[in-house]
Amino acid sequence: MAGLVGSAYTVAVYGLALIVVVGILSLFFEWFDRKAFARLQNRYGPLHTGPSGLLQPLADFIKLLSKEDITPEAADKLLFALSPVVICTIPLLTLFFIPVFSKEAIVFFEGDLIFALFLATLLYLFVFIAAWSSTNPFSIVGGVRAALQLMSYEIPLALALIVPAMFAKSLSITTIAKWFETSFQPYALVPLALAFFIAVVCAQAELERVPFDIPEAESEIVAGWQTEFSGRKLALLRLASDIELVLMAALIATLFFGGAAGPWLPPFAWFLIKTTIVVFVFANIRALFARFRIDQLLRGAWGILLPLSMLNVFVAYVLMQMM
Amino acid sequence: MSELEIPEITIPVGPQHPALHEPENFTFKVDGEYVVDVEARIGYNHRGIEKAAESRSYIQNLYLFERVCGICSHAHTTAFTLNIEELLDTPKPPRAQYISMIVAELERIHSHTLWAGVAGHEIGFHSFFMYLWRDREVVMDLLEAVSGNRVHYAVNTIGGVRRDITPEVEKKLRKGMDILEERLKTYRTLALEEPTLIKRCEGVGVLKPEDARRLCAVGPTLRASGIKHDVRANDPYLAYDEIDWEVVSYDLCDVLSRILVRIDEALQSVYIIRQALDKLPDGPYKVRVPRNVPEGESVMRVEAQRGELIHYVRSNGTDRPDRYKIRSPTLGNIPAVCHILKGGYIADIPIVLASIDPCFSCTDRMAFVDVNTGKKWVWTGEQLRRYARKWRG
Repeated sequence: MAGLVGSAYTVAVYGLALIVVVGILSLFFEWFDRKAFARLQNRYGPLHTGPSGLLQPLADFIKLLSKEDITPEAADKLLFALSPVVICTIPLLTLFFIPVFSKEAIVFFEGDLIFALFLATLLYLFVFIAAWSSTNPFSIVGGVRAALQLMSYEIPLALALIVPAMFAKSLSITTIAKWFETSFQPYALVPLALAFFIAVVCAQAELERVPFDIPEAESEIVAGWQTEFSGRKLALLRLASDIELVLMAALIATLFFGGAAGPWLPPFAWFLIKTTIVVFVFANIRALFARFRIDQLLRGAWGILLPLSMLNVFVAYVLMQMM
Repeated sequence: MSELEIPEITIPVGPQHPALHEPENFTFKVDGEYVVDVEARIGYNHRGIEKAAESRSYIQNLYLFERVCGICSHAHTTAFTLNIEELLDTPKPPRAQYISMIVAELERIHSHTLWAGVAGHEIGFHSFFMYLWRDREVVMDLLEAVSGNRVHYAVNTIGGVRRDITPEVEKKLRKGMDILEERLKTYRTLALEEPTLIKRCEGVGVLKPEDARRLCAVGPTLRASGIKHDVRANDPYLAYDEIDWEVVSYDLCDVLSRILVRIDEALQSVYIIRQALDKLPDGPYKVRVPRNVPEGESVMRVEAQRGELIHYVRSNGTDRPDRYKIRSPTLGNIPAVCHILKGGYIADIPIVLASIDPCFSCTDRMAFVDVNTGKKWVWTGEQLRRYARKWRG
């Protein structure tokens, strides 16, 4: 059941390639997101660095690397230094379970979807630790908000991602992606569409983007849990949020559109097309709304999203039994 | 059973904070996400303008008062010139009154659209901000066409205005007004229909009419609490009594109401400008006035964009004022904003603070107070210098 593609050697080679590709892709998606967001607001967005500002995210990254790295006197030095690295690593690790280059992920086993969700939760634990270790009132409020936000969207997100798994009768992301190509049935469309909607909403919360950029609400709590981070640490956190963007887009593209699966084109091309479309959807959402308040998010998530996603799972189950 | 004790956290907002565009300090005591208490501390941006006015001639003061505030620059010079003209007993010629009024209303549109954009930014609605500021460029270009400047218009002068409105500029103004009317109506619909905006603004920062009266709120903050008070209507100056317009007021008493009041007021400004252009009288736009102002006192009230602005002058027969006093509208709104911040969410602090459209540099005052004894005193310039030297060591 559990399986790795080939030997440990191939995993290492593919893994390295994945890290490089994800690094490039995350910067590309940041650019794409910024550009789409800007165009939706009738602005130009990044323009000067590289063709159409394509290199702007890279330039920002390098600039931040060269900036002074300050650790507050009162901070917990070890956790403060460690958390950006962990926050950057976790989404990268999760991407190993998603098919990118071929129709199979580098690492896949029955239950890797659950493991991926677990890693997403772990990420927020470290966000909270990062906030707590920096001992800044803005950070702490941001960290508490991040934790509250996690509690609100995590269950609906898991329930939404379970729906394609139910249809594919597998908890492996790779198998679910294959199911879209081989044995997709049209009756699955309705629950899948609703699950997609819920997953997109939850992804905005996971990525801390408008309307759920509550943990780092700029005008309220400066930079939220990131307030005290600067220099290299901030560069890592910025990269982490870009990788997270890739991860959520890839996860949604894989679980709802089959990811790397598709005719004619090579798998990587399909993966790119589908994730870019999802990022475009994200950019649209970012341009459309105002920021919610944390209590409004909690009420909405527990009062609307959770019952909706439970109902959706139930409908999917009934449909499967009937067909 | 013992409840989990959450330590009381104090959050400083300011002097440097992204929600504030000028240095000012508000210290919030918070319990979780709720604001328990607020303490406002003003004075970070005190520039000694009133004192500076005493050592400058009236003409020089024109430029000084233009710079009290970047956004209500025209309102300040209007109050100033009307004061001095009153002392000189030479009112502005009719044409100058209309031109000054047109610029004042253009400035109001610019200020209100700027504010509404900032409000969008405070609640994380970036697109609202971007679109409003794009359309604000229309009015900025018009201001440039009328006065030659985008921010400090320098239109008012003692005895009239400094520039005439030519037929070409008038044509530009009419065209611009059409664009602005259409865009402002779109934004009003947006404010009334966009669900996330309504969710963040409805029922937030409620200032009941009786509180508004008790705490002496002014301007759009007051009118958003359902009280129709506008100096332009209640105590008309320039040519406002010759124009047919309405005082806008909404009685929702919350932030949404303040947004709607400002958008509707900007729309009213469009109507005022159109009528003023129709009625623009012929004749000179400037009269010559003597440099020395006879002895006397004068108080002038002007409806600046942020509310009632009061200027007081005492002259002593020379070319310099003996005493000049400004009461800017934000100062009047600070007690009200401290009142409405209590009991709200942390997340609502920026939008509630912003909802009075604060302008701290105009507000800041300085007084010597001993906190322990409550004693107040006044120092001369020489005493201040001695004090400064002592501390510099």
